[in-house]
Amino acid sequence: MLETDRNQLHKCVEEALPELDMMIGWTRCDPLQTTPVFIRDAKSISSLTLGPFCSQNLAGYLVKPPALDAPPKPDAKPIGICVKGCDSRSLVALIQEKFITRQRVRIFGIPCGGTVDWRKVARHVELGSVKSADVQDRVLVIEDSTTTHRIALEEVLSRKCLGCRHPNPVISDVLIGAEVSPRSTGMETSYRDVDELDAKPLEERLAFWQSELDRCIRCYACRNACPLCVCQDRCIVETREPRWLTQHVGVPEKFLFHFIHAMHLAGRCTGCGECERVCPMDIPVTLIKEKLNKIMEEMLGYSAGLDPEAVPPLLTFNPGETEI
Amino acid sequence: MAVKIFIAADRLDSVLEKLSTKIDLWIPALLKDDKSGPTGFVQYTPGITPAFDRQTTMPLKKLLLPQEETLLRFKYQKDPEGSLKTTIALDDPKEARPTLVFGARSCDVRALVTLDRVFANGPYVDPYYVQRRKNTLFATLVCGQTDSKCFCSSVGGGPADMEGSHLRIVRLEDGYLVEALSKDAQPLLADLAEAPDKSRDQLAAKLVKEASKRQVGDLDTKDCAPAFRNRFQQNDYWASMVSQCLSCGVCTYVCPTCYCFSITDETRNLEGERLRSWDSCMFYHYTLEASGHNPRPTKLERYRNRVGHKFSYIPERYEGLLGCCGCGRCIRSCPVNIDIRQVVGNLKENSNEQ
Amino acid sequence: MNNNPYLPELATVQEVITETGNIRTLRLTLDNKESMEKFTFRPGQVGQLSVFGTGESTFVINSPPTRRDYLQFSVMKAGEVTSRIHQLNAGDQVGLRAPLGNGFGFEEMKGHDILFVGGGIGMAPLRTLLLYMIDNRADYGDITVIYGARSPKDMCYTYEFEEWRAGGVNLVLTVDAEFPGWKERVGFVPTVLNEEAPSPNNRIAVVCGPPIMIKFVLFNLKELGYEDPQIITTLEKRMKCGIGICGRCNAGSKYVCLDGPVFSYDQIRAMGGEL
Repeated sequence: MLETDRNQLHKCVEEALPELDMMIGWTRCDPLQTTPVFIRDAKSISSLTLGPFCSQNLAGYLVKPPALDAPPKPDAKPIGICVKGCDSRSLVALIQEKFITRQRVRIFGIPCGGTVDWRKVARHVELGSVKSADVQDRVLVIEDSTTTHRIALEEVLSRKCLGCRHPNPVISDVLIGAEVSPRSTGMETSYRDVDELDAKPLEERLAFWQSELDRCIRCYACRNACPLCVCQDRCIVETREPRWLTQHVGVPEKFLFHFIHAMHLAGRCTGCGECERVCPMDIPVTLIKEKLNKIMEEMLGYSAGLDPEAVPPLLTFNPGETEI
Repeated sequence: MAVKIFIAADRLDSVLEKLSTKIDLWIPALLKDDKSGPTGFVQYTPGITPAFDRQTTMPLKKLLLPQEETLLRFKYQKDPEGSLKTTIALDDPKEARPTLVFGARSCDVRALVTLDRVFANGPYVDPYYVQRRKNTLFATLVCGQTDSKCFCSSVGGGPADMEGSHLRIVRLEDGYLVEALSKDAQPLLADLAEAPDKSRDQLAAKLVKEASKRQVGDLDTKDCAPAFRNRFQQNDYWASMVSQCLSCGVCTYVCPTCYCFSITDETRNLEGERLRSWDSCMFYHYTLEASGHNPRPTKLERYRNRVGHKFSYIPERYEGLLGCCGCGRCIRSCPVNIDIRQVVGNLKENSNEQ
Repeated sequence: MNNNPYLPELATVQEVITETGNIRTLRLTLDNKESMEKFTFRPGQVGQLSVFGTGESTFVINSPPTRRDYLQFSVMKAGEVTSRIHQLNAGDQVGLRAPLGNGFGFEEMKGHDILFVGGGIGMAPLRTLLLYMIDNRADYGDITVIYGARSPKDMCYTYEFEEWRAGGVNLVLTVDAEFPGWKERVGFVPTVLNEEAPSPNNRIAVVCGPPIMIKFVLFNLKELGYEDPQIITTLEKRMKCGIGICGRCNAGSKYVCLDGPVFSYDQIRAMGGEL
């Protein structure tokens, strides 16, 4: 199945490439992982891959280097991009906020059955010894030098995938492969982790975040990987004047950083989970944003990144208003 | 006669506990209650689970170069006349406590060769680093868990390399054989455990011999400097190698040899401190000048500088020394899987093509 | 300096001179009398000036080692530290780590004619060497200074131009455009350099100013026949430690704080790296 989809992707990209500025996709760099590629040359198309190891959300590259030319030159060719369901919502959010125009992108939508979290795989096999990995019928089959391991895909899916409501791209020009049915259809199932944490007493929740955030090394990978963190080099956590954050590495500083980050994403975060995936210290930072997403949904009936025409609730202010 | 002991696996915790009464003891351990979760070096407390079975996520550099450190404190004191008069008091480098790192790996310790060169052997000596450095001993594991990202042999080390180590730890099926490699480490082993029996001793010797023959990684790091210079202006090369870079600080913070730091004044009311903290050359603000000029404005220049620093600038400055210990952490932790071996390895490939 | 290179000495501002709209000059003395008496440096060496609570920034000591009543720094307001320095008054205390860096090779310049080319605040690093040479006038041949600024009110050290001239300096002043009452030259520094055309024979050119000026001055100097080793300049970078450890001010394998800030043009070409 994967093979067929990959062939379809290669064929579609081959046809489209002459009209594109470049194609952003994934390539395998390791049995269990991929790395983003930027293709301008037809002979590199064969390196494109798709499937459960394509964890990165590529939408951010449209507003950060190497694409980064918003507003695009009038004569600029569109950029081709591969998106999973969650990635497509980031695209929509960027279109809503006018960081990119719909015409600027050629969207290769990829229905997604969930992505593999290599940390979870590491609970089953020693990663360093993995020779090959593949998914067959929702079983992750891993070969190392001595054995074949078979792990149910469910056990190694990324946390964000477990409550996924939009596995199919919400926007696309070409759909690669067949649509899949969502794992979750409502708030009850998609905010399970938030609800679980919320059920704990305040002290316990505080202790949880203190212990989790204590590990933060302030590498800012979570921020830089976020496709909606568009301030980039002007982020207020690094500005020198005014200096909002000290260089201390205590939990209060990290708290402040992560909550500034989350608040700036309120009503904008599409729950792609990149911030959590990239964290070298395995801090569940997406949970903070999920909590805000839940509030947005409960209070305002709004989920980010679903409708390119919608105006995100917190962007509805009118700069001319006198009371703000 | 070499001083050696055998620590049976089930006695490890009690031996470490005893050891921790002799010296401040740091070991690799889980940082989260998840056996595949992140690991790092932590001060030993009884009951803590060591993570000897794989390389730590975080390097041990924080023991010598903490992520934050007070260089000096200052206090403005108002004099009765009303004008602000400064008085300044300095926090002298604290007398560092004798410390043992038990369970580092060869690559971890080898990284200190680079740090020592920069902090202890330049025209200026960093007293904070030096004080801690000379009070820290290393008990190093002969590494049996190298993986596909490791390349210690490519940068002058190896899985059994004991340069800079004071004790050698060999992991056996049923425990650990620990041998003092230097005189100052011998007393640490006294009364901890029995000497190993002959068969274990021979087995350990065999494992050490095997490990020292193992070639980990095949990156050619010779003469990178001219190749790097040749590539320096080739923007296409750097774009093809690192366009996916996110400009985050992961690679530099998990790197045992990355040492670049910032100095900032952090104040509260009339007093404050001058703080040294880890910084990263991957960050835009790292080289941003007050005028607004930035000599390394994009990730391409910044990543290029990181490669240059490790494989060209440090070697040029310090007689061929490399700024890399081959641990592979930057590869394993990179959110977009950039592999520095590819970037360095390709420096010499078709370098005149543009 | 003491044995902790991160520890500044306390110093007190003796005098503040407003040079231009955004440049001020500070004259400092070290609070410790003995340190002040023993303080020695080479022209072109720098100091890390701290305002405690804001931070440190690097400036060249622009008074010459031959005049030791105070140490002088000229500061253009640009970022947080320089803004704070501009608020300082006589009597305020600051921290100083100095001298740092290499300084000018004034020994090798002996017996040569000298050409200084400065623009705006770029005159500061040149001033220390210029005054040193005036104080050792017999050691040097012709000394020509071409100093330019946008307008007369953007010019530093105007109050000592007469002293420079009296010290045997051929001082050529220029501003970018005509200005009421201005009696000196009008035109950009590189143009005036071409008009003056000081012979490269046995001469060393010391250049400092904004990057765009340096670029064209360099070009013109080459046209006039100057070779790279004859052209000296100072580099600027964001710095923190000032002692070649913290890693940020590198250009290729050289650290501007430690190996510089003074480099000849052949050295700059050889080092590679971003400027």
